[in-house]
Amino acid sequence: MPELATTLSHIVGTRYCLTRATELLAYATDALPGNRRRPRLAVMPGTRDETVAVVRALYAAGMPFVPRGAGTGLSGGALADNVVLLGLQRLRQIITIDPESRTATVEPGVVNAALSKAALPFGLHYAPDPSSQTACTIGGNLAENAGGPHCLKYGVTLNHVLAATVVLPNGEIVSLTAPSEETPAYDLLGAFVGSEGCFGVAIDITVRLTPNPEHVHTMLADFSSIDDAARATSAIIAAGILPAALELMDAATIQAVESSIYAAGYPIDAAAVLLVEVDGAADGLDDDVEAVVRICRACGARMVRSASDAIERGRLWQGRKKAFGAMGRLAPHLAVQDAVVPRSQLAPILARMAEIGTRHNVRICNVFHAGDGNLHPNIPYDAGNADESARVHAAMSEIMELCISVGGTITGEHGVGSDKLAYMERMFPGDSLDAMCRLRDAFDPERRANPGKVVPSHRCKEWHAAPGAHT
Amino acid sequence: MTLQPANTGELQTIAHDARARSTPLRLVSRGTWPAGVTGGVVASTSLDLSLFTGIVEYVPGDLTLTAGSATTISEIDAATAAHNQWCPLLPWGDDGGSLGATFATATTGPCARSLGTPRDVAIGVQFVDGTGALARGGGRVVKNVAGFDLTRLMVGSWGTLGAITEISIRLRARPVVDESWTLYFTPGDIAAQSRLAALRRGPLAPLASEILTTAHAAALGFPRASALIRLGGNTAFVAAARAAMREIGRTEPCDTTVWSRYRALDPHPRAVTANAFADPLSRRIKMLFDPAHVWNRFECGTGAEGKS
Repeated sequence: MPELATTLSHIVGTRYCLTRATELLAYATDALPGNRRRPRLAVMPGTRDETVAVVRALYAAGMPFVPRGAGTGLSGGALADNVVLLGLQRLRQIITIDPESRTATVEPGVVNAALSKAALPFGLHYAPDPSSQTACTIGGNLAENAGGPHCLKYGVTLNHVLAATVVLPNGEIVSLTAPSEETPAYDLLGAFVGSEGCFGVAIDITVRLTPNPEHVHTMLADFSSIDDAARATSAIIAAGILPAALELMDAATIQAVESSIYAAGYPIDAAAVLLVEVDGAADGLDDDVEAVVRICRACGARMVRSASDAIERGRLWQGRKKAFGAMGRLAPHLAVQDAVVPRSQLAPILARMAEIGTRHNVRICNVFHAGDGNLHPNIPYDAGNADESARVHAAMSEIMELCISVGGTITGEHGVGSDKLAYMERMFPGDSLDAMCRLRDAFDPERRANPGKVVPSHRCKEWHAAPGAHT
Repeated sequence: MTLQPANTGELQTIAHDARARSTPLRLVSRGTWPAGVTGGVVASTSLDLSLFTGIVEYVPGDLTLTAGSATTISEIDAATAAHNQWCPLLPWGDDGGSLGATFATATTGPCARSLGTPRDVAIGVQFVDGTGALARGGGRVVKNVAGFDLTRLMVGSWGTLGAITEISIRLRARPVVDESWTLYFTPGDIAAQSRLAALRRGPLAPLASEILTTAHAAALGFPRASALIRLGGNTAFVAAARAAMREIGRTEPCDTTVWSRYRALDPHPRAVTANAFADPLSRRIKMLFDPAHVWNRFECGTGAEGKS
């Protein structure tokens, strides 16, 4: 081990190769509280060349590694259990922005919001907007296929990545591009997006930039029942309106936000609010606004108000985006959940989740991407209280089973990581999990990158019998 | 010889046998692939997938649909039109072609820029691969990151890794106003072309805009027409887009059915050769999903075009 640390220090400098327990403590967790794993060491290359050299040195040493961006992940995906943690947050160069082709090429450590800020002078932005966008990195977004409120209209990370240069875990460098109709090829880039650090490390990423909309209209609809808010969500989508974002927050979330520094002016006596944003060309936008207001009222909204200016809009959004943080005031820990259900099932699912919460005596705070049916039922709790932890765990398991039973999925944007491994076998039959393992084997046959994540390893059949498989 | 499995179990048996005996298979779905170019696949045995047909699940409120891979584009259109929705692909080729082949060949269409490509539209896939495994990726919800992305792997793999049996897709609501126009400007009128390019890039972008070749214009009955434009959206949006379009050149309204006739002309033929999957990473994938190399073995250098 000291030998490896020496080798890595030679590449990145001693300052960026951490081996002391106290230094490594900061890298023992991602943003999902309650899970800690200490890496054997943490190495943080400062350039793309150093990154390649580090991966090759790790391969030569037979040492598995876990790539990490800003550590804002919510699935325990960036935990390194006694293996090397490869921190990419120093690779923060925006290599090019091309306003003509509306693309940018960036290093993986570039912060999501920093890219949009850099594109602003050209009237462009990077569309995927996870709530952690002021901290999370493009490389991490790529690894997780990150979403965000505006993905309802604009699509998730997959839909915005055009190319990536990737160091495979064996040190080989490959260029992955989205296949075009003229030149058919396997969609290796599509396979890489969302591979949660298990397929290698992207050292540069080319993304599409989106023109800033001509007009944006943000509305807050106030409901006295969460069921009405869920019905309004389905009705808006069914009417053929595609809002830029359609977010739901329940009473528990509203109260948490309103008693925090992120207070957004949400009505504290509401059972639920919908944050609806429509954007696009100035022409025709008013019709969409009128339709949204009419539908919300028909579904029982007490009031629908519009943000009068950019400041008010920013405030309404800040409350939503900092809601997870605001929940931090309620208890020392927060169990964060992420599941997707068919949109038409939202109202009955929310009612059954409330029943599960009551039965286990836990407080569920719902704040989620209603337009996509992407739920985030979060539960504030004290991990030091064994009884409460057990109840939270039991409630979360029931909620996941419920989502699976109605044809939903166990994660819409946070990833499987280590937190949701157990649910993968509930979602997919063994042969499907094995096929996923084979896809990983094409990129990382020795399973050096982020070992033990995403697919339970006992589900992977050995395939090495296939002659010539490595060639 | 033609094999026609009736269900996934029979398909798995065929896959096992083909692997054991190293029998190359040519995948056929609806058979709309032009006869003259099927020689691109080297196989004396055809695997007919036409029995994997029919809509499995369609919940209009979810804007999602799951169907057997041999379900035709026309069937999907008819079912979704009844709820004022559509499958956003509107792909190149005959509407008697199958959903499965559209995804297997990643065939886009004139609305791809505005409504998305097969990789954007697919949310889940079920397939039997060259090892005989029945696998599925994704699911039936519009947002899903559970597991490695087998859906993206299968889209555009041209049947070289296995046979798609079922696909789940996201749908869209049809626009309130959907109108089509022919646009006339002098060939070589640079100013008109740059105005059209600006319209396509701008906030009033059409659903589709296609520059026509002389031959295609004549085939559609619009000799001299320069472009076909499709505008979609609410009334006020389309009115503004129409006004912007008229700045480019002379326009005439035309029936929206022009698009299915234009798509059937297949103005953007795709072609594939074995070279398409020849890079080291792709070869490793091929080896892991089709170890006996029997599924849709394409000849080197000769092109297979279109879809089946």
